[in-house]
Amino acid sequence: MMQTYIQFPLLSLVPKTLLLGVLGVCLHANAQVEHSSHPAKITPTKVSNACQGIGLECANAATPFITKDGKLLLAWTAGGVVSVAQSMDVGKSFSSAVKIAEHGKALDTGSDARPQIVADQQGNIFLAYAFFKDSNWNAQINTARSADGGNSFTSPETLVRDGSSQRFPSVLIKPDSSIFIAWIDKRLIATANRGGEKRLGGSIAYSFSGDGGKTFGTERFANENSCECCRIGGSLDPNGNPVLAYRAIFPGGIRDHATQVIAAKGAEPIRRVADDDWRTDACPHHGPAIAISGSGKVHVAWYTQGSKRSGVFYANSTNQGASYSKPSRVGAEGANVARPYLLASDQHIWLTWKEFDGTKSSVYLKESRDDGNTWSTPILLASTAGYSDHPLLLLRGNEAFLSWLTRDDGYQLISIGQKQ
Amino acid sequence: MKQYWLTLHTILSLSFAGSVLAVDTAYLKPYHTGDWKTIAKASNGAPLAIHFWGVTCPACVKEMPQWGQFLKVNPNARVVFIQVDDVSIDSMQKMLNKAGLEKANHYYVADPFDERLRYDIDPKWHGETPTTIVIDKNGKATRKTGLVDFQMLQNALKAKS
Repeated sequence: MMQTYIQFPLLSLVPKTLLLGVLGVCLHANAQVEHSSHPAKITPTKVSNACQGIGLECANAATPFITKDGKLLLAWTAGGVVSVAQSMDVGKSFSSAVKIAEHGKALDTGSDARPQIVADQQGNIFLAYAFFKDSNWNAQINTARSADGGNSFTSPETLVRDGSSQRFPSVLIKPDSSIFIAWIDKRLIATANRGGEKRLGGSIAYSFSGDGGKTFGTERFANENSCECCRIGGSLDPNGNPVLAYRAIFPGGIRDHATQVIAAKGAEPIRRVADDDWRTDACPHHGPAIAISGSGKVHVAWYTQGSKRSGVFYANSTNQGASYSKPSRVGAEGANVARPYLLASDQHIWLTWKEFDGTKSSVYLKESRDDGNTWSTPILLASTAGYSDHPLLLLRGNEAFLSWLTRDDGYQLISIGQKQ
Repeated sequence: MKQYWLTLHTILSLSFAGSVLAVDTAYLKPYHTGDWKTIAKASNGAPLAIHFWGVTCPACVKEMPQWGQFLKVNPNARVVFIQVDDVSIDSMQKMLNKAGLEKANHYYVADPFDERLRYDIDPKWHGETPTTIVIDKNGKATRKTGLVDFQMLQNALKAKS
């Protein structure tokens, strides 16, 4: 068992001046300096803006999970370390952080990477993250478990025994406590390239665990051709089957989105969400979001730079992805719109995203109370001037929350209302 | 006396820091939010290409040796490379050496590679890599995401006739 504990309070609660002065772990960021009341004294220094600590105040990504009894579990990556802390008061204060793993610069902190954390009805926790295991930038997914509510975790161990690359874990926990994990797997690409092909991309692989993540069943491929650098979206349908949304590679190198139901007997057909026609070999680092409402309607939001469509879009499907509604634009045309995220409960759908206006990043929200047929006018939820993570949404009982990690304004869990 | 201490300090720094620091200061320069103006301005008079790449981006890794070849054939072409992943400088250096690009003009992103850093480069760019921005002799920038057509790049970077 991991015995290492980090003995410091979570720092979003401490005034920033004190934080910087006392700990000296977080170098001054320009954005913070610009907020000082003495702008005349600022000189364009070349000090690194990188926050160097391992606490939440220096995290690049933080992932929340609400347990059955309403406790917030927060997993984050900062300074090459994966940590977890708990909050009994919806993010106002946190327990001491538990250090799960330390990988330094090898930890995957790409802009679409984030640790995954889920807990079952009894409070057993399962965590997954990726790091780069060799000098060829092959990644490895590690998992760790806690049987005492997050006070201690098992030593991380590899999910897959394979020499190629596994990255971008995406974890769901089913009501029966079984765990589903999907990831981007490069073993097929590696084999093809050894055979002289010059293939790019990865594959969507998945596996289930019936024992809380201690062991996993056979690894299977849902789609052999996917983008290698975008997060996978996942949501459970009313039958309890995971449904994935991801950036596939369609013939001709078209990196458009697909959804796929993963039934007990295996992966169902690949369903294209929209014909955006984004032909590219580039890494967009910008995966989609998916949420499934009580009616089984599949709601998807995604980013594209396709020849037929460019920006962030939303569409839904009433037939498990066999056909999708016409994509509708999210955010204002011409605005810098990014990182959509969805939450669904019964017929109530929330859609959030981030916009940047040249000075501050803002999170917007719109909601639908009729299963995505009509939507409210977007409202501004929060803004920040410094670095920020993707906006995420989650439910705590009947109350919906925005989870947003910001460098300047701390970690925020903001109530966005009751579900209908 | 002051000169003596300065010299001693320099000697100590160099001997302690070894090759990694020497590489850092020699050819991998930090790129900070807002540095774009300086880099793009450097093009006045002649066209310039700025290539954004990441060591963890497979398409970039595949393409870097072609950039090395391009600069070998076109030694006067003005190209700036900016590495965007938060990785060790040592790992950047390894990949550049392998691509034959150790003598080129290199930066690495030293702030979070986010929307704020990209905004003055191109507010519409969401950070896809590889991405190449060509600035023509009039200062007009064109952004191309994905692998580069080196023939077109050669034409675009030809000095004014």
